[in-house]
Amino acid sequence: MAKLLTEMLKGTLEGVILASLSGRPAYGYEITARLREQGFSDIAEGTIYALLIRMEKRGLVDVEKVPSEKGPPRKVHSLNDQGREYLEEFWRTWSFLAERLEQLREGGG
Amino acid sequence: MSDEEEYGFIEEYGFISKLIGPKKRWRAYKARTKQLPENYRTAVEAIERYMMHFVPSDADSDASRFEDLADLFEQAAADGTSIRQVVGGDPVEFVEAFVQNYSEGGYVPARARKRLADDIERAAGQDAGNDDKTA
Repeated sequence: MAKLLTEMLKGTLEGVILASLSGRPAYGYEITARLREQGFSDIAEGTIYALLIRMEKRGLVDVEKVPSEKGPPRKVHSLNDQGREYLEEFWRTWSFLAERLEQLREGGG
Repeated sequence: MSDEEEYGFIEEYGFISKLIGPKKRWRAYKARTKQLPENYRTAVEAIERYMMHFVPSDADSDASRFEDLADLFEQAAADGTSIRQVVGGDPVEFVEAFVQNYSEGGYVPARARKRLADDIERAAGQDAGNDDKTA
């Protein structure tokens, strides 16, 4: 079950992170903490961080360095217009996939 | 081609590497990891060793993969995030996702994967008190 969930999450994690950022900007630790609270308990913070870097390179999120009281400056990520477009596309694709799967379950293939 | 000419060519990539050369960036990264708590440093060094199996996309990627790694662990140490929470149950999975940002690929022998898992296990085992957050 845990293994299957991990595999399924792999393809959707970018969308999950963008959806989380659409509420408000956050840094890696906050995003991980939020997702944990929402039941995505097995996600590694490093994996979120890796995906944030990828999305930054693809121009889906903007990054701002904010000084912090303890430790190094935090990289706060926010969704930009391109990221918002990508997120809409993600939800459309998700609905499509969910519908097909539901059809399969009810129709027995 | 002399070393200088070679670096001159490599530094075509990325504006940071035009200001600071690759050797300096590497030394700066090593100096930063020395400041980390010992078990975090052990984890970083294990990941660093594993990443050496990958071919960097360019000179800037080569340096920034280590700088970004240092950023991650400095932040984790400051926030009190345990090593397990950073790398997850399967460190190979995390590092593969991470290194994709800087590399087109590489060849990783099976023993290197095992070594990474063992080294992380050892480093995470020294995490005093933080691990209970990872339910």
